Amino acid sequence: MAAKGGASNFEKEQMFGMAEKEMEYRVDLFNRLTQTCFEKCIEKRYKEAELNMGENSCIDRCVSKYWQVSLLIPFLFADSIYAYSIA
Amino acid sequence: MASPEPSAAGAGAGGESSSQAAAVEPIRMPTAEEIKGQDIWNNCAVRSVVSGVMGGGLGVLMGLFFGALDNPIMAEEMTARQQIVYTAKQMGRRSISNAKTFAVMGLIFSAAECVVEKARAKHDTTNTAVAGCVTGGALAVKGGPKATCIGCAGFAAFSVAIEKFFDRHT
Repeated sequence: MAAKGGASNFEKEQMFGMAEKEMEYRVDLFNRLTQTCFEKCIEKRYKEAELNMGENSCIDRCVSKYWQVSLLIPFLFADSIYAYSIA
Repeated sequence: MASPEPSAAGAGAGGESSSQAAAVEPIRMPTAEEIKGQDIWNNCAVRSVVSGVMGGGLGVLMGLFFGALDNPIMAEEMTARQQIVYTAKQMGRRSISNAKTFAVMGLIFSAAECVVEKARAKHDTTNTAVAGCVTGGALAVKGGPKATCIGCAGFAAFSVAIEKFFDRHT
């Protein structure tokens, strides 16, 4: 990355494109997370406006599991690609 | 879109200036203090202590009311002042004993319901039934195993009935 400080427009565009992709990935992850955990945890009939304690702890667990899985899957993909490349 | 922008900026929105009529404000995420403040009510210890205090207050009121209705045994031989003093003492004694009972009941019920609901991660009447069973059993434990079972079943049914009664409008 010796030319990073230089005026390489192509590299800057590349990095900007990667940042955009990363941002889209994050936003998509967040949207899916909220959608999944909302459908799992919150009852369909709304009895009050506040989140009660059962829903709170359900949301905590759901988000924690989702986050762990989303961190784990790239590692699994990397391992499987490695296994394909040497086999 | 030069004309809407000054009006929206003048309204102090700071967010998008998309609509002319109303200023759109950005979403404000809760701060850490706000989250902690809301989280206080999720803590089982805090909830059960508050319920215990409320039960104690209810017990005091009930003791005052029912103690005032209690007539002294030797009503004809006492003067009016003696009757008043006797009634006041009765009210105080009953208040304190009722307050203790109801405070313990509220504490155990609230703690059991909180723990069960947190473990199950669901908001159901099963939580109320289990908490009622634990409370009834704990209050009747001195009468032996059969009294404990009957107390458990009775208080569970009572608390489920009360919960359904309060939930009818929703």
